[in-house]
Amino acid sequence: MAIKTYDQMNSLEIDTLREIGSIGTGNAATALSQMLGKEVRITLPEVRIMGYNEAIEWIGGPEAVTAGVLVKMSGDMGGIMLSVQKLELVNIILETMLGQSIQDYEELAELERSALIEIGNIMISAFVTALSGLAGIDVNLTVPAFAVDMQGAILAVPMAEYGGMSDYLMTIGGNFVCDGKEVPSHLMLSPDLRSLNFLLRKLGVSDE
Amino acid sequence: MKMAQGEGVLVTYALGSCIGLCFHDPRLRLGALLHIMLPINMETGRTHPLKYADTGIRETLKQMEARGAMRSRMTVKIAGGAKMFEIAGGSGLGNIGQRNIESVNAILKRENIRLLGQEVGGKVARTLFFDVGSGQGCVRSYGQKDIFF
Repeated sequence: MAIKTYDQMNSLEIDTLREIGSIGTGNAATALSQMLGKEVRITLPEVRIMGYNEAIEWIGGPEAVTAGVLVKMSGDMGGIMLSVQKLELVNIILETMLGQSIQDYEELAELERSALIEIGNIMISAFVTALSGLAGIDVNLTVPAFAVDMQGAILAVPMAEYGGMSDYLMTIGGNFVCDGKEVPSHLMLSPDLRSLNFLLRKLGVSDE
Repeated sequence: MKMAQGEGVLVTYALGSCIGLCFHDPRLRLGALLHIMLPINMETGRTHPLKYADTGIRETLKQMEARGAMRSRMTVKIAGGAKMFEIAGGSGLGNIGQRNIESVNAILKRENIRLLGQEVGGKVARTLFFDVGSGQGCVRSYGQKDIFF
């Protein structure tokens, strides 16, 4: 049966996505580790299917400011992939790459922004490469877009884009452990529903 | 959608491409704050009318009129409709804000509601406060001064 909204997925389908999340996040962590030249591990990734309000509370409230790198997917799978970079992760990246840290996102200049975009892009690409290799599909990615603003508005982008179809957000992700510190990392994969069905069928778990 | 009468401040947080609409009937000091996400309702079951500009505005007007509000006195202020991400090559993403603005304007005109002020477009997220007593709106954005309108 084709899924019409995210919350209709059964446990086998969610487990499959969790596995994808695990492999994708693992690849993203490896890419991050290579860029930073330090060990990066991941905690157990989770797949969450949440309403918008729940997702906002989970990530820390609507008005909290955060950096987001967004890439649009097309090809065999359409959707949006979002990397939400909290200040802890931002500072690990900036300290390692540029030898500096920031107190507030307002201190980000051109160079720092482009470092964050690049890291976000590499993590997203590593995730999607793992996913497309696993499912045997071709996915094209756009050039990454970057914004620093209230995270409520950033999370609303995938909601609005697919809001006509679903009231739920799917987030796949876990925390990175870097220098013995746990750094919250949120990679959000929001496929459109047609693509989600296609993906589950390709992976052999959709029962139709 | 939230409604209040007499006094009180209604608030909706972090409007990106979404639009917040402050409906006000000054004589009754009745105010409603609606938060819409998409321009047109194409849901088959219509389970979430308030999520869309067209059905959301009509539903809000209906509920305000049920409490005695008159369209001839009613005013609206709107905020939101930003474009959060600029994607090179323009793949359709990010136009939602602009489409929301156009849709809200068209529907308000059709419903004969006076648009008194707007803080729309641009690239910033906005938190919108609405004082139902005075009808004043206030927009708060990251790294900017508050705007009263």
